[in-house]
Amino acid sequence: MTVPGGAETAHEQWRVQIDAELDGELSLVERAALAKHLATCARCAGARASQLEVRVALARSAGNPHAFVVPRPSIRAGTLALWITVALVTGLLAGWAADRRWGGPGGGSTLEESRGTIVVQ
Amino acid sequence: MVPSSFSSILLALSTLQGPGTRLTYRIRVIEPGVVAPRVVATGSVSGPLDSDMRLTLRTDTAEVEALFQVTPVGDTVTLAGEFFMRRRVGRSRRGLPLWEEDNYRRIVRLTWNDTTRIYPFGVGKAAPRGLWVELLLEREFSGGAGRPAESFELSDSTRDFRMEAVVRPRRARVILNLVRADTVSAPRPMDLVPEEPPRTVQLVLLGRRTTLVVSLTRPEPPLSDRDRSLALDADVVCLRVAAPPADAPQSLGTICGRLNNVARQLALPTGDTLAATFSWPGWR
Repeated sequence: MTVPGGAETAHEQWRVQIDAELDGELSLVERAALAKHLATCARCAGARASQLEVRVALARSAGNPHAFVVPRPSIRAGTLALWITVALVTGLLAGWAADRRWGGPGGGSTLEESRGTIVVQ
Repeated sequence: MVPSSFSSILLALSTLQGPGTRLTYRIRVIEPGVVAPRVVATGSVSGPLDSDMRLTLRTDTAEVEALFQVTPVGDTVTLAGEFFMRRRVGRSRRGLPLWEEDNYRRIVRLTWNDTTRIYPFGVGKAAPRGLWVELLLEREFSGGAGRPAESFELSDSTRDFRMEAVVRPRRARVILNLVRADTVSAPRPMDLVPEEPPRTVQLVLLGRRTTLVVSLTRPEPPLSDRDRSLALDADVVCLRVAAPPADAPQSLGTICGRLNNVARQLALPTGDTLAATFSWPGWR
């Protein structure tokens, strides 16, 4: 992640990202960029560890020792419904196309159409 | 003058319906081309008025066998076709081809020399390339000639078409030979009538006489629907071969076949092989 401005400003930006990550608000791409940065920046990694310790302490004092410190990214119901609809429509279209192309047992025409016919000219 | 003309017309018509009339099926197998329809095969089958025609057409995905029968009614004729069809409908889950079989009958009425068009694979979208068969029925006075004749010319050798005359033989010419290694006995021709009492025949091979009791019979009635509808037994005769004495013969075997000059073999207990060739009897 490229942050314009000086080094201090950049670190501030990364801390904002760390807060957002611990709140579970980062996308997968943003989390990957943050992890890459934390691997090379001891200062930000330390800041993240401090944030984690604070959150764990708060959770324990609230009587929830097994609380998730980093909440799981939430899946929105709308997104889930959209993906299910897309999968169903794709399956239906693929089935229709395969039936048009290869057909099922019995062929595509009626029995009488597939039978021989004698026509007097 | 008028009555005599009328009677001569009646006489001519009755002659054309009688036993001396010869029936000819002329066919052309045609497939539609890009520019013009293309004749893939031509042929004709002729025989006595009760002759039938068996037609076979095969493609990669369909197979049609049909038996056509003609019944003259006055100046018109009824053409009946007994169809037996096999169609490939796909593959099983284990990858083996699946076929469906269909058996049906078609009847049309037409006048002599009318051209009929037969769509053997149907007229639906599934019909392979819209192929059709043109059939022309002709009759002529033959003076009693009763043996069938077949001619067939295939323009495209990649196609599998076949036509046969189906005539129930009243007599058959059977030529018997005894074979041992590369030595063959003198041919022994016989005119046999089906269901006649058995006859004793003697064949000589390398100085040794072999006596056999032979009789001509009709084959057993077909068991399957296909064989029955295509009358596969109609033009077949069977030669029953037995060892003497004639009054209590001991069966040695049966040779069955069409009257098409093809030698068929039967191994005898003596180590010899009996070769029987069935053909139509000569003119009388």
